[in-house]
Amino acid sequence: MNTKSISLTLEIWRQKDSKSKGDFETYSLENISTGMSFLEMLDVLNETLTGRGLDPVAFDHDCREGICGMCGAVINGIAHGPEPETTLCQLHMRHFNDGDTLVIEPFRSRAFPIHKDLVTDRSALDRIIQAGGYVSVNTGGTPDGNTIPIPSATAELSMDAAACIGCGACIASCPNGAAMLFTGAKISQLSLLPQGQPERKQRAMAMVTTMDKEGFGNCTNERECEAVCPKGISITNIARMNREFVKAAMLG
Amino acid sequence: MELKSNVPDGPLAEKWDKHRFSSKLVNPANRRKHKVIVVGTGLAGASASATLAEQGYEVSTFCIQDSPRRAHSIAAQGGINAAKNYQNDGDSVQRLFYDTIKGGDFRSREANVYRLAQVSNNIIDQCVAQGVPFAREYGGTLANRSFGGAQVSRTFYARGQTGQQLLLGAYSALSRQIKTGKVSIHSRQEMMELVLVDGKARGIVTRNIITGKLETHAADAVILATGGYGNAYFLSTNAMASNVTAAWRAHKKGAGFANPCFVQIHPTCIPVHGSFQSKLTLMSESLRNDGRVWVPATPGDTRKPASIPEEERDYYLESKYPSFGNLVPRDVASRNAKEQCDAGKGVGTTNLAVYLDFADAIRRDGKDTILKKYGNLFQMYEKITDSNPLYEPMMIYPAVHYTMGGLWVDYNLMTTIPGLFAIGECNFSDHGANRLGASALMQGLADGYFIVGTSIANYIGSTTLDEVSSDNPAFSDATREVENRIKRLLKSSEGGPEGKLTVDEIHKELGLLLWDYCGMARKREGLEKALLLLPKIQKKFWNRVYIPGKGKELNQSLERAGRLADFLEFAEIMFIDALEREESCGCHLREESQTEENEAKRDDASFSHVAVWEYQGDGARAKLHREELVFQNVTPSQRSYK
Amino acid sequence: MWFIRFIQSSIGKKWVMACSGFFLILFLCSHAAGNATLFSSVALFQAYANQLHSHPLIVSVFSKGLFLVFAIHIVTGSLLFLQNRKARSQGYRIHKRAIKNSQASATMIYSGIILLLFVLLHTYAVSFGNHGTIGATITRLFSSFFVSMFYIISFIGLAIHLSHGFWSMLQTFGINHPTYNSLIQRLSYIIPLFFLLIFGSIPLLFLFGTGQ
Repeated sequence: MNTKSISLTLEIWRQKDSKSKGDFETYSLENISTGMSFLEMLDVLNETLTGRGLDPVAFDHDCREGICGMCGAVINGIAHGPEPETTLCQLHMRHFNDGDTLVIEPFRSRAFPIHKDLVTDRSALDRIIQAGGYVSVNTGGTPDGNTIPIPSATAELSMDAAACIGCGACIASCPNGAAMLFTGAKISQLSLLPQGQPERKQRAMAMVTTMDKEGFGNCTNERECEAVCPKGISITNIARMNREFVKAAMLG
Repeated sequence: MELKSNVPDGPLAEKWDKHRFSSKLVNPANRRKHKVIVVGTGLAGASASATLAEQGYEVSTFCIQDSPRRAHSIAAQGGINAAKNYQNDGDSVQRLFYDTIKGGDFRSREANVYRLAQVSNNIIDQCVAQGVPFAREYGGTLANRSFGGAQVSRTFYARGQTGQQLLLGAYSALSRQIKTGKVSIHSRQEMMELVLVDGKARGIVTRNIITGKLETHAADAVILATGGYGNAYFLSTNAMASNVTAAWRAHKKGAGFANPCFVQIHPTCIPVHGSFQSKLTLMSESLRNDGRVWVPATPGDTRKPASIPEEERDYYLESKYPSFGNLVPRDVASRNAKEQCDAGKGVGTTNLAVYLDFADAIRRDGKDTILKKYGNLFQMYEKITDSNPLYEPMMIYPAVHYTMGGLWVDYNLMTTIPGLFAIGECNFSDHGANRLGASALMQGLADGYFIVGTSIANYIGSTTLDEVSSDNPAFSDATREVENRIKRLLKSSEGGPEGKLTVDEIHKELGLLLWDYCGMARKREGLEKALLLLPKIQKKFWNRVYIPGKGKELNQSLERAGRLADFLEFAEIMFIDALEREESCGCHLREESQTEENEAKRDDASFSHVAVWEYQGDGARAKLHREELVFQNVTPSQRSYK
Repeated sequence: MWFIRFIQSSIGKKWVMACSGFFLILFLCSHAAGNATLFSSVALFQAYANQLHSHPLIVSVFSKGLFLVFAIHIVTGSLLFLQNRKARSQGYRIHKRAIKNSQASATMIYSGIILLLFVLLHTYAVSFGNHGTIGATITRLFSSFFVSMFYIISFIGLAIHLSHGFWSMLQTFGINHPTYNSLIQRLSYIIPLFFLLIFGSIPLLFLFGTGQ
C-alpha cells in the first residue's frame, strides 16, 4: 500500500450540548497519512486538540469495521462521505486530495436531536423497531428450524433488507428527512419470511404510524437514501412497504 | 473464596435435565415483584433481557452504545455452530461437545460444555422463528458450512454477517419487551460500580454518558454481559468501547476472575499500518483454505512480492507442518507469523506482516472460482488497504480477537458473589484455553436464551432477599466511590496539558507491554519484567494523563480514561496468571514448556485447573485459587499438527 | 376512520399524490387525443369541440372532477413540501445530491408551480378569454410568438415533472420489480417526451404557419 501525507482544512460543526447553539470551527491538519480511516483522522485531530488544551470533537463510533452503525457524519454534503457503500469508519483518506477542505456536519433531522458536536440521538429508530419490528415469539417452544422450507432466493432477498445497520444515513441524506428506507427494510425482511406472516399487517401499520409520530418527513421518492446507504439497501424495500401498508390499511 | 462449581451429579447427558428439575422456580405471579439488572446488550445480554422479561421479571437493561443493537456481537462474521446434524455427516451433541472441549485444549468444565452442545440446537430453532434470514439450500432447508477446521458441517450462517443477524434477532425480541414495558432500556449508560448489600449483588451505579450524571439502580440480581477485555492490548478486533470495567469492578467487590491470561490471537487480520491505527480488522479464517502463507527467505528483503522468485520464498507453515500446512490451528499460525517477523522476515511498511498468496489457487481454479469463494473478503481487504489480492498477495498479521478468560462462574453462571451472574464472553466458562470458530455466538445465545433464566429463578427462589431500594446507604457509598474516582482521574489535568500525555498515548504503551510479554508466546523472564514495568505505566497514568473537560458532561476522553484505569489494574492479573501457568496450552505458548520439536506442551499433571484470582485490596497481589478440572467422559490428548 | 388515518399517514399522502397524478396523466391522454385533431385541421378540431360541448353534463362532471383532482394534487403536494421542510429544522451548510440526474425529483414543487401557472392562464385564455370559436381563439393565441413560447416552456416543465412523477407514481404504488424496472425506466422517458411532442408541436405548427 502506497501512502502519502496530505494536509486538510476541516470545518466541523461544534455544539456544546443539545441546548446550545452550534457553529462551524475551522482546523487545519497536516501530515495526514492517506492510509488512515476518516475516524483515525479525527482521532489525530482530537489528540492535537487535547494537547493544546482544547475540547476534542465528540463523535460516535464503535466497531470501526462498518457493521455496528454507530458512526456517521455528513462530509461535504454527503452522508458517510463520497465513497459508495462505505461507512465513515471504512472511508479512507486516500479518497481525498492534498489541500482539500472538508465540511463535517452531524446527521441532521428533526427526529435526531444533537447531543454534542457530531453525536446525535437516533433513539427514534429504536422506537420504530419497538413498534413492531419483530416476530412475537417467546424463547423456547419454537419448531425445528427446518420445519418450514424457505426458498433460497427468498432468504437472500430478506437478507438484503436485513443487512441494514441502522446508522441513519438514509434519513440524514433524504431531502425530506424521511425514514422510509430504514422502516421499509425491516418490514420487508419480515414480510418476506413465513415467520413474519401472522403479524404482517399489524407490523406495517404500527411501524409506519410510529415512524410518522417520531417526526420524520414524508418520502417523495428522491432515491437519496439508497445512494448513501452503506449496505446498498434498495428502495424496492420502500415499494414493498408501500404495498404492505396500503394492504394493511385498506383490508385491515 | 470458595469455588463450588455446583455441577449436578449423574451421567453427563442427564446433568442439565436433572439440574433444571432440581432448580427452584418462582411462581409466575411473583416474578413481576423481582427486578433483574442486565448490563450489556450483545447476544448474551439482549437474549437474557428478552427471555427474563418474557418470563415475567422486571428487567432493567443497560448499554454503552446509543442503541442496544450496536453491541460488538454484531461484528461476528462466520457463523454459529449447532449439533443439528442436518447434513447427515455424523455430527451429534457428543461430537460438538468433544470438539469444543478438545479445541479448548482441555481447560474447560465438561458439564458446561456438554450443556452448551445440548442447547445449541434450540438456538437455531429460536433464531429461525424470530425471522433471522439464515442461508438456505435451494430446496429451502437451512444451509451449513464447515468452519474452523471442523470435520463436520455444523455452522449456520447469514452471509458474512451472522453475528449481525443473530444480534438483530435478539434485539428485536428485546425491543418487543421494551414495548410491553417489561424491560426498561438505559442506553448510553456505563456501569461504574457494583453495589453489594449483605454480601449479595443488589444493584449498580452507572454514568449517563450524555450528561455525566451518576445514577443508581437496585435489583434482586445483576447479570453482567459485558463482553471481553481484548482492548487491554489497545489494538484488537474488538469495538472501541469494549472494556473490562464492569467485570473488573465486580472482581474488586469479590468476584473471582478466571484464567485472565487466556487470550485468543487470530492469525488473519489486516496488519497495522501506522502509529495512528485505532483498531484491527479481522479477515475470515477461511482464506487460509486457498491462500499460501510465505515470507521472503532472507531477512530484510524489501523487493516487491512479485519479484521474489519461488526459491527465495519461505512457505514456512507448509515446510514446518507438512500434513496441515496452511490450515494449522489459529494459535500455531499466529505464533509462527510472529516468529518470522521477529526474525526480520516480516513484510510491508512496518515489517509486521506475512503474505497470504492466492496466485497458485487462481492458477489452479481460475479467477472466477476464487472470487466466488472470497469475493466479498477481497473487496473488504481492498477497501481498507487499496490493494487487490487477485494481483498482489494479501498481507496479514495476528491480532487479539477473543478472551477466553473472564469472571469465574459456577454451573449456574453465578460468580463468587451471590446474585451476580456473568454470561457470554464476560465469563470464562466454555472455551477453555482456546475458542473454536463459530462457538462464541453459540455460547452467548445459549447463556442468554436458555441457561440464565433457570439460574435466576433458582437464585431468587432459594434466597431470602430483603427489600432493597437505591436509598440504601450502600448505593450512596458506591456513588461516592465513583465520584471520587472521577475526581482522581481529572486531578492530573488541572494544570493544563503541558508535559502531559493523552489517554491513548498511555493505552498504547500498556498495549505494547501486553503484546510483547503476554501475547502468543510468554516466558517467565518477560512476564517478570512486565510486572516491573507495569507500575511505571500506572504511575505515569495517574500523574500525567491529561483529560480535557469536566465529569458532568459528554466527555469521551474521560470515558476512555476510566476504562484505561481499569485495564491498567487488570493487566497485573493477566501477567501473574500467565506467570503462574507454566505450561503451553490453547492459544499461548509458554516458552519453557515446549516439545523437542518446539511445539506447545501442555502439562496436565500440574495445570489441569482453572486459575481463579481473588482481589486482595489495592497494592496487594491477587490470591490464586484453583478449580481442578475433572475429566470423566473425555481423555485429554496432546495436539499434534505435524 | 381508517380512510382519514390512512391519508394522514406519510404513505397515505404519497398515495394521494400518486392516485391524483395517475388521473391527471389519464386526462393528459384524452386531452392529447383531442388536440391531435389539430394536426389534421382547425376545422376538425372545432368539430371535436362542438361535439364535446353538445353534452353539457359530461363536460360539467368532467371539468369539476378534474378541478377536484388538480386541487387534491396541489394541496397535498404543497402540504408535503411544507411538512418536509420542517422535518429538517436546521439545514446542511453544503447541499449535495448523492445520486445523479436528480434535477427532476429535486424540482417537483417548482415544475409544479410552473404547471399551475400555466393551467390558470390556459384555462383563462380558452374559456373566459374565448371570444368566438375555440378554433379562432387558439389560432389567435398561437400567432403570438410569446404565447407560443410560454406554452412550449410550460410543456417542457410538464415533461420534467412527469419524468419523475411517472416513475414516482409506480414506486408509490409498490411497482418496483427487477423484471419490469428497465421497462419502467424507458417509459419514464418515453411518456414525457410523447406529451412534449404532441402538445409542443401544436404552437410550433401555428407559429410556422402550417396550422389552419
